[in-house]
Amino acid sequence: MDYLRQVGALVWKDLVVELRTRERVAAMGAFTVLVGILFSFAIDPSVVQPQDIASGLIWMTVIFGGMLGLGRTFHLEEDDGAFQCVLLSPIPRDALFLGKVIANFILLTVVTALVFVVFALFFDLGFGDHPLALAAVVLLGVLGFVAVGTLFSAMSARTTMGETLLPILVFPLLIPVVIYGATATSSLLQGLPVSEVDGNIRMLAAFALVALASGAGLFRFVVEE
Amino acid sequence: MNNPVLRASGLTRDFGPLRAVDGVGFSLGEGELLTVFGPNGAGKTTLLRILSGGLQPTEGVVSLRGLEQKSGDPEWYRRVGFLSHQSFIYGHLTLDENLRFFGRLFGLKDLSTRVPDRLEQVGLASRAGSPARTLSRGMRQRLALARSLLHDPEFVLLDEPYTGLDAHAASVLREVLTTLKDGRRTVVLVTHNISQGLELADRVAVQVRGRFVLLQDRAEVEVENFERTYRQRVEEAG
Repeated sequence: MDYLRQVGALVWKDLVVELRTRERVAAMGAFTVLVGILFSFAIDPSVVQPQDIASGLIWMTVIFGGMLGLGRTFHLEEDDGAFQCVLLSPIPRDALFLGKVIANFILLTVVTALVFVVFALFFDLGFGDHPLALAAVVLLGVLGFVAVGTLFSAMSARTTMGETLLPILVFPLLIPVVIYGATATSSLLQGLPVSEVDGNIRMLAAFALVALASGAGLFRFVVEE
Repeated sequence: MNNPVLRASGLTRDFGPLRAVDGVGFSLGEGELLTVFGPNGAGKTTLLRILSGGLQPTEGVVSLRGLEQKSGDPEWYRRVGFLSHQSFIYGHLTLDENLRFFGRLFGLKDLSTRVPDRLEQVGLASRAGSPARTLSRGMRQRLALARSLLHDPEFVLLDEPYTGLDAHAASVLREVLTTLKDGRRTVVLVTHNISQGLELADRVAVQVRGRFVLLQDRAEVEVENFERTYRQRVEEAG
């Protein structure tokens, strides 16, 4: 019970601080809206149908926008050294990682919902016949992304070139999320049956699971000195 | 000295080629307070970080009532409270929220009574609902003290707690620190201020270039000459 209480305390703290500063959600939200608008102007509909490439663009927008927020995860913790004090509390390091991942997941899910709204408006996109399957694809993809991003964000926060380094470290690891996420999203937006994306959903779930387990195991080596 | 409850032996910490703490060892009995003096860069904060469990020593061991410190050991953190010159609090949370947050991390159950009690103890009860970022430096330091004592630790580490405080804030803080000498807590205080450091001490150490160049009981210290002794030791070791 203490473990869940500790995770809950961290999630609560991160969300309250974000609600009061709006530092990350505002940056990610503005970025995704602007990118959606720019994409809509950049694509010539006489050459390519926007709906045909929308899924790839959606995932790239989520990932680029998400990096803005994830990169700041531990910068907020530097507020008068408060994170050092968190590390001097008896919270297990995997609980600390899990709390951070859950808070980031909630924030990025909100931003991802905004991305879909923006693309629905500017690309005249529907959500297909299987909104639940689409939600599963998006949530699993975002979870995997956040798990990897949170671990590397903790790592990069301790280096002088952290924010520059973060995308270079994280993007190669996100290739599976982009491949399986974009393919499944594309299929579902085209109205194909869920059985067509079964394998992709499983792969996204496996990726999220491996990223969570590795992150939880490795986090203490990143944050402890 | 009473029966030693805290034992540190051979503590060494290297940062690459730099040896920040060099073979430090001492013991403290229950309720004793050790003041560590030393010039800037002597390794005092690094020593406290090792004692707190926030930094692993390259060599050496620390134990508290037989519990040997290990990296990430929750039991160690439950026993230790750390007050630094940084407040370690979240400016966007209120005072009440800050203490409740840290209380939950420590698994404390009685926060609805404990948090107001601690705020009362440091004279901040009337500001419980204010965001911590609106506090003055002295108030932040008192909140930090309430946070570091929230879980009732038996081993307290104080790193330059008077830094940046005006005379009034320093005297309020000193009153609260005096209450730490209740015979139950073992305390290590790091400071540059000789009079404040000697006031509460049971034992005194001088750290220079990572090493303890002086370690003696407070009763053996000649207070009037201590500043001269301190300078002499620093020059000899430097």
